[in-house]
Amino acid sequence: MFTLLKLELEKLFRSKSFYLSFVILVGFVVLMLWGFYTYAARKAGGQAVEQFKYTYESKQYFNGLTFALYSVLFSFTLLLPIFVAMSAGAQIAGEARAGTLRMICTRPISRASLVMSKFLVTALHAGLLLTFFIALNLLVGLVFVGWGNLELYPGPLNLVDAPGKIMRDEALMRFAYAAASGTWALLVIAALALLCSVIFDSPVQAIVTTIAAYLTLYIVGRVEFFEHLRPYFFTTDMDFWRDVFKPDIPWQNVWHYACTCGAYTVGLLLATVFIFERKDILS
Amino acid sequence: MWVKIVLALLFCVMVAGAVHFAKPRPPDDTRPSTEPQHSLTLLTWNIGYAELEDDTRAHTKDLPAVAEVILKTDPDAVALQELAGKDQLRILLGLLKGRYRGEVAQQGQGDRFEAVLVKDTQATFTPVAVGTRYALGATFRPENNGPQVILLSAHADAFNAARRREFVEGLMDWAQARMRSTEVFIAGDFNFELKAANETNLYTDNVKHDSESYSYILRNFKDLGRDAGDTAINDRRIDYVFGPARVQRANHAEVLRDAAVGRMDHWPLVVRIGF
Repeated sequence: MFTLLKLELEKLFRSKSFYLSFVILVGFVVLMLWGFYTYAARKAGGQAVEQFKYTYESKQYFNGLTFALYSVLFSFTLLLPIFVAMSAGAQIAGEARAGTLRMICTRPISRASLVMSKFLVTALHAGLLLTFFIALNLLVGLVFVGWGNLELYPGPLNLVDAPGKIMRDEALMRFAYAAASGTWALLVIAALALLCSVIFDSPVQAIVTTIAAYLTLYIVGRVEFFEHLRPYFFTTDMDFWRDVFKPDIPWQNVWHYACTCGAYTVGLLLATVFIFERKDILS
Repeated sequence: MWVKIVLALLFCVMVAGAVHFAKPRPPDDTRPSTEPQHSLTLLTWNIGYAELEDDTRAHTKDLPAVAEVILKTDPDAVALQELAGKDQLRILLGLLKGRYRGEVAQQGQGDRFEAVLVKDTQATFTPVAVGTRYALGATFRPENNGPQVILLSAHADAFNAARRREFVEGLMDWAQARMRSTEVFIAGDFNFELKAANETNLYTDNVKHDSESYSYILRNFKDLGRDAGDTAINDRRIDYVFGPARVQRANHAEVLRDAAVGRMDHWPLVVRIGF
């Protein structure tokens, strides 16, 4: 198992797509920074002040921690799942497409161990991506925007139902929590993509199927008409990671959804192992 | 084989964990330990009908049911919205057996009126002009020799969040000028949509404006009905009672969900406060 893990890690660190995902995230942070600056200028002065006398969007609200929070929340929903799906979806199907899967499976290793080593490497990739992204946002926020306390308001981020504030040092700790809870939530996508990777022989098919399933559930869950279906989507459960940014963390809720996501992840992994063990490898 | 066993065990642990942590925990009782010196019971209710009806204002045939709820709840003051006019207020005051005095707001651009009813016979009523709309304030003493209280009955635009925001700004200007000398409470239908998850619903055009409005109110006021839940159909909490920030929390906040009659789309919100 450890040899397998070592080999998979070597493959990961040698692959171009691994580094490409980090480069794209850097690009996204630059884009967010530009958007944040222009938005702050627009909302904390000019026309907004003429139309409305009072606003919480004063200049002190726009600090580095707010920038990092916005950036992480928006990228987590639509950007990071794509990279995780790409990484996991290519694990088995990529070997099949390259013609190496048959050779690997003729070696004296169990197929279950192979699946697990590939999943652990994907989990590491997800964790590294999110941790890097959070650290980069905080660094950029500190250097280019400046730090302050993290102020939260009801509505836009759907985090709190009354205005609240998290002091700077505590907020930094919350970002560390978010790296852990976010990675745990992303593992559901990783497990789903790995299952698709076993079912399909083409990595593109595996990745597209995973992203399509994720986006479909995410979009349907956002539409008011399907409100009653929301609790049954894994995309709803994945949202728990954001709770660490609430002024009082609802720990019971966090543990409930963390366990639900864990059940999805482990259940999908179990299905992957069963299917892969019975799969006739023809490639 | 061991991988599958470990995974199966982990799956069971996760499911058990999810079930265990899903159990509701009783809310912490964080009520202030000091005994309140004064008590006040307020009720707010938009007694109009849902949008699909021909006339969405209050219907006179429903007034006996409205009076019954008020008499049963026995509030010190009542904020009503969407009355059709002074005639309805007169009928309602009659049904209340002379226990309340009341007034309706001036007519703005719309065809409906806000009203305030109070028990105090010495109460005075003040129209509050906010843009093209009118709110109504009542100044009264809920207890003999108790502090003077102002209750504002307000109704913000149902379909335009930017107009709601401007309305709130005007209302706050009026309230803040008086809150240094008097306990000011604001009650009514604000139509705020604060759940970003609901931004695709049909009632709001901009969640952000509502967030600005609500946050601005909470700079100086407490949302006293927060724990009571939805106040209107479609799981919406759009009726509020805001009180002075020094009121720690409502002793009791309740939405009377069996009180609506006819095609009403709101339920009355009752708040009991000690301060």
